[in-house]
This record gives sequence, structure tokens and C-alpha cells, in this order.
Amino acid sequence: MQSFQYADSPFPIRADICDEHRAFWLRLAQPGSWWSGATRVAIAQESRNALECEYCRARKQALSPYTHEGEHSHGGDLPHLAVDAVHRIITDQSRITRKYVDDNAAAGLSKEQYVELVGIVVATFSIDEFHRALGLALEPLPQPMAGDISRYRPAMLSEDIGFVPTVPPEGNVGNEADLWPGGRSPNVVRALTLVPDALRDWRALGGAQYLSFQSMQNFVKDEHRAINRMQTELIAGRVSSINECFY
Amino acid sequence: MLRVSAITTETEIDLQGVNGNEQAAAVGIEFGGELMRFAESVARRDNHALPVSRQALLDAAGPAVLVDAAGVAANFQRMVRIADSIGIPVDDMTTDIGQQVRQDLDLQRFASAQNSLQPS
Repeated sequence: MQSFQYADSPFPIRADICDEHRAFWLRLAQPGSWWSGATRVAIAQESRNALECEYCRARKQALSPYTHEGEHSHGGDLPHLAVDAVHRIITDQSRITRKYVDDNAAAGLSKEQYVELVGIVVATFSIDEFHRALGLALEPLPQPMAGDISRYRPAMLSEDIGFVPTVPPEGNVGNEADLWPGGRSPNVVRALTLVPDALRDWRALGGAQYLSFQSMQNFVKDEHRAINRMQTELIAGRVSSINECFY
Repeated sequence: MLRVSAITTETEIDLQGVNGNEQAAAVGIEFGGELMRFAESVARRDNHALPVSRQALLDAAGPAVLVDAAGVAANFQRMVRIADSIGIPVDDMTTDIGQQVRQDLDLQRFASAQNSLQPS
């Protein structure tokens, strides 16, 4: 059966949202750049497990995330470092540091794997949050597909922002030509570009749930939305304020 | 973005709606109070407040607004996780409007400012 039927929804869900949720589920199940289809789906499952993890709950209250001993509630399908990274991103992201990412890389969770993992976690979490916001049951995760990972790494990378290499603003050329228009890109768009497909997922989902890159230039009202730009940004701003986020 | 949209549409708004001031949220923004409360209960993952704020928004504005609002809130639930997980700094710290908004909303208080406010 096709995913994201939204048959249980008492509200009509916009077709573009259904389409993008469905498209992400399909990509989630497929081999990625650095993780197999099975591992990608396990990462998505772990993003759900994190919300029920007692260790995460206790660690969040601790003065430092390194002073609280314990073990995550997890599905058992991922390496320990990946489990901890997923749980951190969901439950305690503000205390992720460069040292944490560097130490993980030295211990075997490469920065490429980490970025792909971040992309999977945030996309799955966002889709799940959409369901929760509307009081809908979560969509069952897809069946993984077999196949080889691509190990794709962009040709042009820089280390000028963040904890990981990113494609520079002028790096939207060649295979990365579609990432953003023009030679300028906000840092939040560059964040996941070590794995370009993670940005493509981010952009596609954001285009349906929020606004496309093109619609972001319209500060009045997107004709395909029931809310105008001020209403949109009030919601975005309030959520970001509670999350202590500048974006 | 909210400030830019208000300037573009020549609408008087009060940015303190972003900080949870219910009266401010309603200034110049249709269903502002209901949208703010709904966004708040989604972001706080408050299972008691969420059904109440959802129904209030549905009653006031209808299902199409509710679904769009859920999409935006869900989208921004992931933004902080991307920004903090990757440690990216915020852009264009020097524009007048950006500086003014950050000052008005007292954004320096955020813990993630340690990464976000580094010059890029």
C-alpha cells in the first residue's frame, strides 16, 4: 500500500505535503551516500526511540552530558556512536560540540556518515512532528531496499563554518549546480552539503512544509498557502524562540 | 523574516509575539494568538496543551490554516537540530534590521549563541 495516505486525517492534507513525505520515505529506504538502506531506516527508527529514552531524559538534566552514566534505549541495529548521535540530535542538540563530532570521527563515525545521519534524523523527526501536531498516528517506516552506497563526496568543500566540511557559496557547480541559485547561500543551507542528497531532502521537505527557495522571496503570501507570510513567520519565530534557535 | 514581511505589507506588528506575548501576537496578524499558542504547544511537545490549541486554531481559522501551520511548525522543529548539530554560525550579523531584531527579541540569551553568533 502507498505510504502517507492520510486516510485517518480529519483534515485534508495538501497534495504537495503528501507527495514530499512519500518521496522522502522512498529515498529513506534506498542506499544513501554513506549508509545502506537498512541502516538509514534504523537511524529513522532510532529518532523515534530517542523520544522514549530514559537515559536521554536523565542526561538532559545533568550539568554535563559526559557526567551521567547509563545506556540508551535503542533498537540494537546501529553502532553505539550512531545511536548516541541520533539521541543527542533529538534530545540534547544544544550541547553538541566540535569536539564531540571530531571525537566521533576519530572513533569511527566519519563526518560524512554523521552528516547523512543528521539529515535522516531531522527529516524523519519533522515529518513525525507534522503528524503529532495534527494528532495523527505516525507513518510506519518503509522497508529498506538493497544496494550499494555511493560514497559520493562533493569536489569543492571548505572548512569555514561549522563542525564539518561544507560546499562553499560558490560551490554550486558541476554535480552540485542544483543545490542553490546564484553564488550565495545562507549557512543553514550549506550545513548538510557534505552529503548533497541530504540538502536535497531538506530542501524538498521544506518546500512543502514551509516555503520553497523561490517562495521565500515572496514576503506577502504564497498563492498555494492558506496562511500569509506574516502568519508563517510568526509560527516559525515562536517555534524557533522556544527552541532557542536563530533560524 | 516577520519584520521584513510586515514592512513589505506595511503592517504594524509587535515582534514580542515571537517571545510568547499573546496580545502582541494578535497585532496585525490574523489569528495571531491562536497561531502562536499552537506553535508553542508543538515546539514544547506539550501533549496537554496541543489538542486544546489545535482545536482553538481549527475553530478560529479552519482546517487549511491548521494544516499549513502544522507544516511550518514541524519544519522549524528540525532547524535548531540542524544548526546545533552542525554548529553553523548565523549569517549577516551586521545588517541593521538583523541587529535590531536580535536586540528586540534578546536573542543573546540562547545557549546556542555560542555557535550561532560566531562571525562566519
